[in-house]
This record gives sequence, C-alpha cells and structure tokens, in this order.
Amino acid sequence: MKDAPIDDTIAAIITPPGGGGIAAVRMAGPDATTVMRRHFRPHRGSADEPLRPFTMRVGYFVDSQGSVLDEVTAVFMPHGQSYTGLDQVEFFTHGGRLVVRQVMAALTRSGARPAQPGEFTKLAFLNGRIDLAKAEAVADVIAANTERSLGSARRQLLGAYSEKVEALRSLLVDALAEIEASVDFPEDEIEPATLKKIAQAVLRAESDVDTLLSSYQGGRILREGFRLVIGGRPNAGKSSLFNVLLGQTRALVTPTPGTTRDYLSEWIEVEGIAVNLLDTAGLRATRSRLEQAGQAMTEDIMAGADLVLWMCDLSRRRVWSELAEDVRRIQTAPILVAANKLDLTPEASPESLGKLGVEGCFVSCKTGEGIPALKQLVQNRIESILPDMTDGLAVTSERHAVNLQRALEHLRTARELLTQNASPELPALELRAALTALEEITGRVYTEDILERIFSRFCVGK
Amino acid sequence: MKHRDFDIIVVGGGHAGVETALVGERMGRSVALVTMDRKKLALMSCNPAIGGIAKSHVVKEVDALGGVMGLAADAAGIQFRRLNLSRGPAVWSTRVQCDRRRYAEYIVDYVSERPRITVIEGIAGRLIVASGAVAGIVTEDGREISGGAVVIATGTFLGGVIHVGQKQIRAGRMGEPAATQMSRCLQELGFETGRLKTGTPPRLDGQTIDWEKCRLQPGDDPLPLFSEYSRREPFAQIPCHLTYTTDQTKQIVSQSFDQSPMFSGQIQSTGPRYCPSIEDKFHRFAEKPSHQIFLEPEGNGTSEVYPNGFSTALPEEIQRQAVRTIVGLEEVKMTRPGYAIEYDYCPARQVKASLETKLVSGLYFVGQINGTSGYEEAAGQGLMAGLNACLQLEGELPLILDRSEAYIGVMIDDLVTRSTTEPYRLFTSRAEYRLALREDNARDRLWMYARRYGLLPEDVLTGFDQLRNRTDRAVTTLERRYVEVASLDGLATRFKRRTHVSLADLLRQPGVSIADCREVIGNSAPELADDEEALGRAAIQIQYSGYIEKQQREIDKFRRAESHLIPEDFDFSGVRGLKTEAREKLARFRPRSLGQAGRIEGVTPGDVAVLSVWVKRHEANGQAGTDSSGERKEV
Ligand SMILES: Cc1cc2nc3c(=O)[nH]c(=O)nc-3n(C[C@H](O)[C@H](O)[C@H](O)COP(=O)(O)OP(=O)(O)OC[C@H]3O[C@@H](n4cnc5c(N)ncnc54)[C@H](O)[C@@H]3O)c2cc1C
Ligand SMILES: Nc1nc2c(ncn2[C@@H]2O[C@H](COP(=O)(O)OP(=O)(O)OP(=O)(O)O)[C@@H](O)[C@H]2O)c(=O)[nH]1
Ligand SMILES: [Mg+2]
Repeated sequence: MKDAPIDDTIAAIITPPGGGGIAAVRMAGPDATTVMRRHFRPHRGSADEPLRPFTMRVGYFVDSQGSVLDEVTAVFMPHGQSYTGLDQVEFFTHGGRLVVRQVMAALTRSGARPAQPGEFTKLAFLNGRIDLAKAEAVADVIAANTERSLGSARRQLLGAYSEKVEALRSLLVDALAEIEASVDFPEDEIEPATLKKIAQAVLRAESDVDTLLSSYQGGRILREGFRLVIGGRPNAGKSSLFNVLLGQTRALVTPTPGTTRDYLSEWIEVEGIAVNLLDTAGLRATRSRLEQAGQAMTEDIMAGADLVLWMCDLSRRRVWSELAEDVRRIQTAPILVAANKLDLTPEASPESLGKLGVEGCFVSCKTGEGIPALKQLVQNRIESILPDMTDGLAVTSERHAVNLQRALEHLRTARELLTQNASPELPALELRAALTALEEITGRVYTEDILERIFSRFCVGK
Repeated sequence: MKHRDFDIIVVGGGHAGVETALVGERMGRSVALVTMDRKKLALMSCNPAIGGIAKSHVVKEVDALGGVMGLAADAAGIQFRRLNLSRGPAVWSTRVQCDRRRYAEYIVDYVSERPRITVIEGIAGRLIVASGAVAGIVTEDGREISGGAVVIATGTFLGGVIHVGQKQIRAGRMGEPAATQMSRCLQELGFETGRLKTGTPPRLDGQTIDWEKCRLQPGDDPLPLFSEYSRREPFAQIPCHLTYTTDQTKQIVSQSFDQSPMFSGQIQSTGPRYCPSIEDKFHRFAEKPSHQIFLEPEGNGTSEVYPNGFSTALPEEIQRQAVRTIVGLEEVKMTRPGYAIEYDYCPARQVKASLETKLVSGLYFVGQINGTSGYEEAAGQGLMAGLNACLQLEGELPLILDRSEAYIGVMIDDLVTRSTTEPYRLFTSRAEYRLALREDNARDRLWMYARRYGLLPEDVLTGFDQLRNRTDRAVTTLERRYVEVASLDGLATRFKRRTHVSLADLLRQPGVSIADCREVIGNSAPELADDEEALGRAAIQIQYSGYIEKQQREIDKFRRAESHLIPEDFDFSGVRGLKTEAREKLARFRPRSLGQAGRIEGVTPGDVAVLSVWVKRHEANGQAGTDSSGERKEV
C-alpha cells in the first residue's frame, strides 16, 4: 500500500535462466549505489571512493556478512544517463545459477525489490529515456503486464494459497487488535489476551509462513525446472548415465579417469516436469590445475542442485568406504546413489546401501539393468518436493517468497519482544511490518481491519 | 485589489474556527470570526476534557504550531493525568479535565486581545461565489461580508437535529439553534452531503452522589501540562471517580430499546463505534453484565458532573430511572438529559489535503463538516486551514503535513483518501510511524514550520533550539558513560557476558523504563539529573533509536512516493489499463500524489504503476506545448 512501486530500488537477473558463461544482475533506483557499496569490494581502489560512471571494475561481491560470493565485474551508470534513467548498477557474475541467485538474494536482503516483468522498461519511459512516441505502446505493455500478473495472482488467490495467506493475515490482525486495543483504550475494561497467548498466535503464524516458504522451492521448480546433477568419482560412469538418461550419446565416454572437465547441461522431461540434467567432472584429489578448476565448478553446481545423483563404481575394491566418505561430505543438496557397473559385480548386495543410510539402487549403464528403477526413484524425489497441485499451495513468485521471508523475520522479532515483555508498541511495530509484507501479496490494507476487530470484540469508548 | 471587508472569514467559533482565526491573525491577516454567540467560543459540547490517547498528540502539535488549545486546557484544567505510562513513551498521552466555563472564557479573552480579529455574531446562511472562487458570506438575516477566503467550521450545527426519545428538536447543541441554510447552499454549489450522529450523556448533580461508593481517580503530580509555554503552580486537583452500572441498569435499558431513536429507525445515520451509547453497549455486548462509568467534574464553581460512558438518547424519564441504578447514584438528581444529535457533513474526499475544497477555490472545510469528531481533531484542522488560507492569499504553496510528520497529517490524509462511514477520530494505531510521532517530540517535528511561517515568537524558538542542543549533549553522554554491570542489581542479569555497559545500553533494554534507570543515571551522570527535561527527551530518543533508524528507510520511501505529485487538472478517466473500480475511485478522490493514490481503498500497487505512466506522460505533453520544435507529441 505505502509504496508506489516506482520509487523502489529494484533488481533482477537479466540473463536467461540456465547455465551460461556469464550472468548479469541489474539494479536500478535511488538506493542502487548505496546497496552496491555494501556488496561490492573492488580489487583496486576502495569501496567508498566516488564511482566512475561507465567504468567496468573487477572485485568481489560479498554478502551482508562480508563473505565473498563471487568475483564479479561491476559497472555504474548514473541517473540521467542509464537505461532506466535512475542510478543503475550491473553486476556480471560467473554463470552458475546458484551464484546469481545468491547475488540476487543479497541485493534483496539489502532492500532492493525483485523487479516485475517490464519494470526496467517502465522506468526508462517514466524517466524520459524512451521516445515519447512509444508511450502508448509502453503503457499498454505495462497494463498488460500488470493485468496478466493480476490475472495470475487472482487465479492463485482462488486456490488454497489465498486462503492460507488470508488465514495468516487474519491471525495477525487478531493478535494486533489485542495489542492495539490495550494501547488505544487503556481505560476501557479490556480483558487483555495474555502476552503468552499472543506469542502463541505469532508462533503459529511463523510456522504457516514457513510452510508457504517451503512450497516456494516447489514453485520454483515448476518455473525453472528441476536441477538433477550427476556427480561421482572419476570414471564412475557419470557420462555414461548422462547419455543413457538423455537417450543419445552426447557426452564423451572413455576408460580414462578425468575425461569430463567442463560440465554438460541438457534438458529432459520427467512426468511433465522439465529436468535440467548436468554431467560433471569427477571429484578426486588431483594436481592438474585444469581438473581442479573443473572440480571447483562441480562443487558449485552440486550446491545448486535440487538432487545429486551420486555415482560409484561397484567394481572398485574400496567402493563402500569411499562411498561412505563421499556421502558424508556432500551436505549441500539431497542425494540419491546410483551404484554402477552392476554387470561386473553381479554378486553385490543391495543391503550395503541401506547400511550407509542413503537411498539408491544398483544399475548398469552398459546393460541398462536397474535404470528404470533409478528413474522411478528420481521421479519420486521430484514429486516429493513439488507442491501438491491439487490445492495449489505454491509460492511461485520470487517476490512473494521475498515478502514471506521478510514477514517471517518480523514475526520472529515480534515474538522475541513479546517474550521479553517489551512495551506493546514495539511488537506491534513488528507485527505491522509482517502484515505489510503479506499485504503486498494480497493487496489488502489492514488498519481499518484492526479497528473493526477492536470495535466488534471489545466494548470500548466511554 | 478589489476591496474586501476581511482577508479571511471564519464561520463558527468552535475549537476549529478559533484556531483558524488565531493563525490567520498571527500571519498578519484581518479575520472575521462569524459565530452564533461570542461568549461561547470553543465551548466544549460534550466531555469537559482535552486530550486522551492520540488526541493529546494533536494538542501538542497544535501547541508547537502556535495554537491556543494547549494553553487554554492548562489554564482551565482542574485535573491532569497521563495515560499509558506503563507502556512506551510513544503512546503516553496527557488528558486534562477542564472547567468548561473557564475554558471558554480563556479563549474569549485570548481572542479579544488579538487586534486583527473581529468577532461578528450571526448565522452564516450562504456563500458568495464568483467564477469558481469564494468571495464572502451572507448571514441568515441578510448581512453581506466579503473576504478573500472562507473557512467553514460549523461543528454539529449544520442541519442539526437533537433526539431525546421520540422528541426531535432542531438545534446545533442543546439550547442553541441549528444552522438551517448553509447545507442547502453547499448542495447547490455541487457538494455532496451526508448525515452523521453523535451523542452525549445526561448531567448530574454532584451533591446528590454518594462518592464513598465510587473509586477515586486522583490527578497526577507533578502536573503534566500540555503547552510548553504554560506555567502553573501545583493546586488541589479535583478528582474523577469510577463506578459501574448494575443488573437493574441493564434491565431498564434493555427493556427500553424500542424507545431509543437509535433502534426505532428515527435515527438513520451512523454514530461512532468508539463512543457507543449505553443502549448500544447493552445491545451489542449483551453478555456483558455491567459497564464502567467515569464521573467527571464539570468545573470548579459547579457541582455538575458528567457521567462519561453513559451517552444516551432514551426518553428523559427512562434516563432518570436508569442513572439511579448506577452504584453511588441511587439518589442522584439529573440536571439535564442526555441526547443524540444528527448533523450534515460533506464527505472529505471533496477537500484537498490543504483542506481547501476542490469545487470552490478559497473555500475551506474543517472539523465536523469533514466527518471528524472531537475538539482536538477540529483544532488541528482549523489551524492547518488557517495557515493554508494565508499561504493561498500570499500566492504560496500550502503546507501539507505528511503521515510521518504529525498526527494532524495522518488525520487529514485519512480523511481525503477514505470514505467516511462514521465520525472519524484519531487512534495511535492509525499512525504507521507511531514511534516517531510522540508527545515529547512534537516541537522537534514541527518547529521548522513554526519558524518558517512565524507562528511562534522568535525567543520561544530560540529557547527550543537551546533545549535541542542540551538534548543532543545528553544523548552523547548517555551513549558514552559506562557503568559496572555488577553494580546494577536487578538489571545485571541482562548483561551476562559484559562487565561494563553504557547508560544508553541500559535504556535500550526491552522492558526497562527511564524510571528504572533514574538512580543509576543520577549516580554516574549527575550533571544530567539537573536537566530533567533534556534527560527525559534524550532517554526516549535512545530507547527508540534502533527502531526509528529501521523505520527511516520506510519513511524515505514513503516520502518519495508522496512527492510524486499528480497535476490538479489530470484526467483520471483517460487512463487506460486501470481496473474500472480503481479508475472510478481515483476520479472521485483525485489524489494529489502517487503515494496518496496508493492509499485509496481499491487501488492496488499495479494500478499506481499504470497511473504513474500516464501522469508522466501528461507532464511531458504539457511541456510539448511549449516545445520549440513545434512538434505535437500527441498520441
Ligand atoms: C451532543 C454532542 C455530543 C458529542 N459527543 C462527542 C463525543 O462523544 N466525542 C467526540 O469526540 N465529540 C463529540 N462531540 C463533537 C464535538 O463536540 C465536536 O467534534 C467539536 O466540538 C467540533 O468542534 P468544531 O470547532 O468543529 O465545532 P463546534 O464545537 O460544534 O462549534 C461550532 C461553532 O460554530 C458556530 N456555528 C455553527 N454554524 C454556524 C453558522 N452557520 N454561522 C455562524 N456560526 C455557526 C456555533 O455557534 C459554534 O460556536 C459531540 C458534540 C455534541 C453536540
Ligand atoms: N562394465 C561397465 N562399464 C561401464 C559401465 N558404465 C560405464 N562404464 C565404463 O566406465 C568407463 C568410464 O565411463 P564414463 O562414463 O566416462 O565415466 P565418468 O564417470 O564420466 O568418468 P570421468 O568423466 O572421467 O569422471 C568407460 O570406459 C565406460 O565404458 C557399466 O555399467 N558397466
Ligand atoms: Mg565423464
């Protein structure tokens, strides 16, 4: 309600999704340079010196804790001269999907709002950067955009998602009404809901927001596809499996360990879901600089995976102890083990996997044995994290996810304040901030609602 | 310049009109204050008290802008209290129980001392309007008065009808005539009008009350005065008392529902939910056996008592029976019956944020006519309209306080962006930047306007500059002075890992109040203890500093949207891409900025985005007219 969005600082990934060499993030708005200074540490010069317009600078992109996310190139375009007409900054990161997402997340945490479709162009027009003759066209595009997003928002709101957010909102409005009634009508006989009761309501809201947020992962998969990364030690048969799943010989397969250096990316479809299949360089200790670079990339890719298909070679003597070690090391993503080359060790017993506490199955890329079972396992995993399509409970928009995250943080603070017995206007402030975050999703204002509840519930007024 | 009798004509000498006249006078304008009775300036129609939650903030703001309300309440106060002290300083509120007569007298004297104000007795009946601009008024008895600006501050008098049971009387207040012609004139000019309702309790003879049976509510010591410029020695305050209705009260009232004009259909208009009548209370909260009643003295020289909480429009005889069922009032004598009053108002979307009407230039609406209720709400609007009328006469832009600056700003913004359905009053929960809008910092928020427009004498402003410096120094001291945790007794457990903490750290602990820290501060920073005022202000600043910093980003964002203005001649109906509902709402409310547009019900952020495109385009087209290339950039 309070923000006419046109004065926000906005940011978006402007390169298409999926692996590419370089990804770009654009940020524009009155706070662009402030946010940039917070996150960009140039290699040469200091972060605070005046920004030189239209000059590429290399440096580290750091998150709010100061940890380096990536080495990036950054360029600053001052207002009046940039595409949008506002202060504008662009970062060029390495192509890993994960890295750009982290960069984007850091920017939003520092106050940039994810841009809506067409919003940079809209700014360009608003600030006189696009020919006036195009105004009509632009207005129509924008109208179409908002209408489309409204349309889809409405569709979304028809489902359980809307009910969920509304229920959440209602819970918070109730909690706020309790607090506000006691503040605004101190002399009326209001049975105050105990702080504990309010804190409990807030806790309930927190867990609801959490549920909604976890559905975001599912929502994102619908939008961007499921990232299935094949990993494993060199020569385990990763490229072979990649080819099998793809149904064509795309990756090079040789008996020499370390064949795959760069990674390969292809798309397949599993039960109507787009799956991005990635073949990676094998992980092992090595001195080769080239192989090290490939492995570093593999680590990165695995960290961004929705599922890692970890392969091991059953014909290796120490296969189980190696696997145990590997499974322990991979913490960044869920894994599924494909124990390969079953044709060479037909006596291998499936129990050995169970003992490691990981799910998986035995396969042979050579004979095709076990492959259907593996596919089934992958499919189950995809379905388990997909939102339940029947009740439509999916947060698919990044903007919503950002807002829910914000709401969650305010709810946590509110509950802390309540348990510390802070003066009621302070938790009220946090609850309002949480409501504002939700309100931007539902597009409803709440102050009147709070008063309405106060008046209907309490006999106030002298 | 064409001759005019007065620069500004104020219609109505209530709380709103008086502030209008005073600010106009201070800014050097000649002012006619046209009112029905020159002895009844700023008479309190209902409760003899000024302030209370959120309203007291407005009184402080009025005071910071050179208004009179705070001074009058301080002078006429018979009991002073601060509410909400157990909560944070942002919601502390002062309330002063006043001697009703003394209050009006103070104002009458104050006004009579202003050389450029002429009080004219009469009832304004018509407005003189020439080519879209107001030029004066005509009284009901035919006197013509010309002026450059007219401010309508007519309170509950426009088309006023009083109800007591089935009895209906045309009146603006009990015993005073209604203004019967003005509403028709406004309708003829094209204004949309509606009806609202409010009510008042009967008055009682205090000498017939058994005070022993009621709970005493003494005043506060030291006196929490409203105005920074008042001085008053401690005196014996007159206490209020608290009592309760009984089962019989409930029985009598409930059996008489059909005789109350509220339920019989005799009154159609809406009353305030925050100020329900006693019949409403028993009706809507049937499960509640009893309601509290505050017995408030009406003044020093009178024994009359105002039973706050017992507003009613029941027939007089039933009122008489019902009050006698209240604890302590068994033998009470009712001196005057309670009543409900209906009156005309003009939904406030017809005024701009400057309070000037959109239809007639130079015409301003304040108080009840904008759908508000309450003395303080009226005073705040009155002051702003007076100031803006002066600025308009000088050809300057109006002063519009925004939601992050003042409760006055919150109120006016609410009025112009919302549809009124019941009389509007302020609550602290209406202010989204509540922590920044406090009683203690009203002057900090507004002094620059007082200085810019010369609303306060220069020596007063200089004195305040000094106080601000002292406050800043106190903040620095509190931030830099450290104490040993071990010496903190009860508070020590909060700082487990530290040996020393600053006084500021201490103040910032949730649940710790300034009072809790007094002793520690007195010991470790004795120089501060001497300057109680600066210390108190500094402590509050520190307590909230973290939150206010966080909120500042929101405020900045809010202000940017506020400053994106929509031209007054903008055609909302020509905006394509808006939902129909949004387009209609925008065309009706005609917001002044994109920020304001976003606050209108039914207008979504998406609509604002679309609107912003068209506004920009409109501006660019305007420039295209003077473009040297001569090229028409029409689309
Ligand atoms: C019975 C009753 C109960 C109320 N109860 C409450 C309540 O519970 N809570 C609450 O907040 N508020 C209540 N109010 C409202 C409160 O009194 C007003 O909000 C407040 O007084 C408004 O101030 P004002 O300056 O706008 O107008 P008023 O105080 O009403 O003053 C208006 C002045 O204008 C003069 N006037 C009017 N018309 C003309 C004219 N045409 N020409 C010349 N002079 C004119 C009148 O003589 C009067 O002096 C009540 C009012 C009444 C009458
Ligand atoms: N017998 C048998 N050999 C297999 C099977 N799968 C793969 N191989 C062989 O194992 C060798 C390595 O296969 P790749 O698919 O290249 O292995 P990789 O894991 O991609 O190896 P790097 O890219 O070097 O890390 C090749 O010679 C394959 O033919 C299998 O199921 N059975
Ligand atoms: Mg390979």
